[in-house]
Amino acid sequence: MDECRSTIPTYEGDLHVVAAAHHIVKALGATNNLSDDLRKILIDLDAHLSMITSNIDSKGGRGFVDVEERLKQAERKIVSWESDPMMIWNSGPRESSEYLEAVDEIQTLIDGLRGLSVKENRKQEGILHQAASVLQMAMSRLEEELIHILVQHRQQFEPKHMSSRSTRRDVVYDDSFVSVEDEPAEETSSRNCSSDESGEYIVDLVHAHVIPDIKSIAKVMFTSDYGQEFCEAFIGVRKEALEQYFAILETGKLSIEDVLKMEWTSMSSEMNKWTWSMKIIFRIYLASEKRLCDQVLGDFISVNFCFLEISKATILCLLNFGEAIAMGPHQPEKLLRLLDMYETLADLLLDINTLFSEEAGSFVRLQFHELLERLGDSATAAFKAFGVAISSNGSFYPFPGGGVHPLNKYVMNYIRMFPEYCNTLNLLLKDQHADVANPVTEPEYGQNMSLSTSCPMACHLRSITSSLEFNLHKKSKLYKDEALRHIFLMNNIHYLVQKVKGSELRLFFGDEWIRKHNAKFQQHEMNYERATWSSVVSVLKDDNPGSSSMSKSTFKERCKGFNIAFEEVYKTQTSWCIPDPQLREDLRISTSLKVIHAYRTFLGRNPAHVDDKCVKYTVEDVEKLLLDLFEGSPRSLCNSRRW
Amino acid sequence: MPATEYQGSFLGRISIRRNQIIAVDGNHELDLEDLELFQKHVSDRFSELLSPTDDVPVDTLLSISWLRKLLDVFLCCEAEFKAILLMGRDPSQISKPPLDRLIPEFLDRAVKALDLCNGVINGVESFRHCQKLAEIAVSALDQNPIRDGQARRAKKALNSLMSAMNLDDKEGSNTKTTERSWSFGRRGGNKDRPPGHFRSLSWQVAKNWSAAKQIQTMTTNLVAPRGGEASGLASPVYIMSVIMVFVMWALVAAIPCQERTGLATHFPVPKQFSWAHSIIGLQEKIGDEWKKKEKKGMAGLLEEMQKMEKLGQSLIEFTDSFQFPGETEKVEEAAAQVAELSETCRRMEEGLLPLQMQIREVFHRIVRSRTEFLDVLDQGGKSSAPLV
Repeated sequence: MDECRSTIPTYEGDLHVVAAAHHIVKALGATNNLSDDLRKILIDLDAHLSMITSNIDSKGGRGFVDVEERLKQAERKIVSWESDPMMIWNSGPRESSEYLEAVDEIQTLIDGLRGLSVKENRKQEGILHQAASVLQMAMSRLEEELIHILVQHRQQFEPKHMSSRSTRRDVVYDDSFVSVEDEPAEETSSRNCSSDESGEYIVDLVHAHVIPDIKSIAKVMFTSDYGQEFCEAFIGVRKEALEQYFAILETGKLSIEDVLKMEWTSMSSEMNKWTWSMKIIFRIYLASEKRLCDQVLGDFISVNFCFLEISKATILCLLNFGEAIAMGPHQPEKLLRLLDMYETLADLLLDINTLFSEEAGSFVRLQFHELLERLGDSATAAFKAFGVAISSNGSFYPFPGGGVHPLNKYVMNYIRMFPEYCNTLNLLLKDQHADVANPVTEPEYGQNMSLSTSCPMACHLRSITSSLEFNLHKKSKLYKDEALRHIFLMNNIHYLVQKVKGSELRLFFGDEWIRKHNAKFQQHEMNYERATWSSVVSVLKDDNPGSSSMSKSTFKERCKGFNIAFEEVYKTQTSWCIPDPQLREDLRISTSLKVIHAYRTFLGRNPAHVDDKCVKYTVEDVEKLLLDLFEGSPRSLCNSRRW
Repeated sequence: MPATEYQGSFLGRISIRRNQIIAVDGNHELDLEDLELFQKHVSDRFSELLSPTDDVPVDTLLSISWLRKLLDVFLCCEAEFKAILLMGRDPSQISKPPLDRLIPEFLDRAVKALDLCNGVINGVESFRHCQKLAEIAVSALDQNPIRDGQARRAKKALNSLMSAMNLDDKEGSNTKTTERSWSFGRRGGNKDRPPGHFRSLSWQVAKNWSAAKQIQTMTTNLVAPRGGEASGLASPVYIMSVIMVFVMWALVAAIPCQERTGLATHFPVPKQFSWAHSIIGLQEKIGDEWKKKEKKGMAGLLEEMQKMEKLGQSLIEFTDSFQFPGETEKVEEAAAQVAELSETCRRMEEGLLPLQMQIREVFHRIVRSRTEFLDVLDQGGKSSAPLV
């Protein structure tokens, strides 16, 4: 605009029209990213207009209004609003544009007068002085109007654009290892739905229709050198708006001390809120705020300073919660939430880099990069703690019924979610050695293992399950009854395999692992049968296969022996538990095959004695009774002769 | 940075000697020479802050550059402290009485210090707004001749500056009033409300959090070691605690922070320790300043802000009575003040961000040390547990 000033004529006669031309040029020149070429064109245009003007003048065209008179008019306009309780921009577009015209007029006069050699002219000096005072009045007013528009037309956007995490993730895992029951297998990953979240949403934080008004105020204020006032007012309102929005998100303003003292359930929900708020604040709110800044201020200044001022306090708040979490003890139950936080931040770093690209924003960028590192360390530590917690989880008493141990359920349901974090875990765990010192030997994975079974996460997963298996073996030793020990191990290894097979975990464990573990639980199944039924069946065995039937007394004795043994088994094993119906069914079938076959043969060989009272159970009875086993509800046959 | 060089060489030396000593005497707890050296360094560093030697450019007490030196001192002492306590030492040594109690207490203090760092970083943010307002006043008055319009412009900015400075510590709830007054859509009674007033210091923590109370609780169980403990590891823990409390206290006195009522209450530092003399001296000086200012709500004792307040006040008087073209004498006087204000703004422009970064550095350092201590306590706890 300096170039423009230089073209101002030095005699008062041309003032009016050239001022008009100047005005136009200035309006165009307000776009501050003009190329040199364009600027030159504007200057040429300015000169051209001056020439036309002098032509009109020489033809005796319109005369020009006295400068003083024009100032008075504009001043009247500006002063009249001083006593008006209404806001100008609330009174209609005509009022506001007239007001802006008046301000423009004053600005034009001031610019024009400055170009004159005013020092000698007392009258012009007086006008200039007056104009400056009116301008100050107007600027002060415009600042108020600006604040009012910004507040009045603030848009509250609901944080619904981003749905919170699926309910599945809201299960709170805790250190008790007991709270988790099997959940319905709605395996469709919430990740897939949430990937939509990465799309950018930009919303209008201020009604779009007032943006031109705000810009017009910005323009006159910057043109009149009141840009600082504009920025401070703008920053003030927008900063407060962000803080209020932040309050709506209910991300509590917590001190580090508070966070460290927090109990796990509330901490978990705060961590959830944080991940959620981070996304909304950075991806929607701040992206939108940046656009607003660009829209309003982009033509006048570099917006980075204002943007940083608006956002910094809130950002620090988010940052500090992250720091507090990263500082806390890294209990295993925190792992998934930490991974959520880590992934969210990792995901947002690009946005953060873009939003705070300039030097002034380096503070913010740096802090978040460091926070990411610390969250990663915390997640790794929590992962390790998870492994330690599994191997050190001890029991004093055998788990009743030999069913699936809660530790097993907890661990398997927990790690079932790991594949969702595969990339992150691979990244974090790649320098961490899987626990090779684990007593359960790691199955040899041959050359044919696929990528997913050899990735760091897969190795750590297998290390976790071998710790788990080791611990389960330890727990199985608590059973005095060998058969029950096998039931327990069968149940638990079967559960382990089912969990792996039924989820994405299978990709990481691989078929080889599954085969081996199938074999393991089948082995325990066989061992059980041997431990329980071999002795029972052996009672029925014919010592003398040559003869067609045994003596009555032998038969009676054998029968009695069988009855006692069977009743004993019935009594104890009805209270045992095989939670998986298929597994229970399989075991019954193979038991039946063995027992019923032996019993039928036994009775079949001795048809003469079958009617004897000592045959307490028919084959069908035994078949039926076997169905009562492993249902987890103890029954007894001893006193009930028949049912 | 000279501080780190120094620190590096010191750490190197101490670790070498420690290793030698440990090799000779496994039960050795604390080398007295280490403790004396530490005390001497603490004393030297703080006396430098209290009354700098001639060859150092003088930083006015509680100015931005002084605070940065204070933080440097903190970082140096902290590094040395950690070297003494942790380097080459068997974890079991610090997990037995009285350290098993003193270290966790120290770490509790550290957590409170972290919250204070955050509060103060936020307070520094609030200075920026003041700086911008002062800059407006400077650009309005830095003209020849000054016209009425510009004088009024400056006055408006300065009034906003004053009210921004005089926000009460408790005035985090300011937003409600402004929301109300804005929602009228009429320019009723709030016409005199200086714009910018609405920009309260936005606090980051829960409403009932109080900086003064934090500092107070940091000192509650802070007792100088006596008897045999005085020559043991309890001593450096005590010294570092005092330093930490003092530095946090000075920061909070200088920089706005949530709820500072009662900050003037001295925390007791026993006078018999020679290392503490300068700290006590500084404490008295700052405490006196605080008492002078406490009555009025204020932005803090930061030298630049005080200067800004003083200059602002007198420039308001100037603009109040100003009528074009103004008395030459007064105009000249004002011009000098404007130049001074402009210089103050420049110092803030240059110093505030680095100050903020440095407080952040202190923050991270405390976090790191805390982690290291916790690790050592953890290890110590394990190794001292009876082996089965």
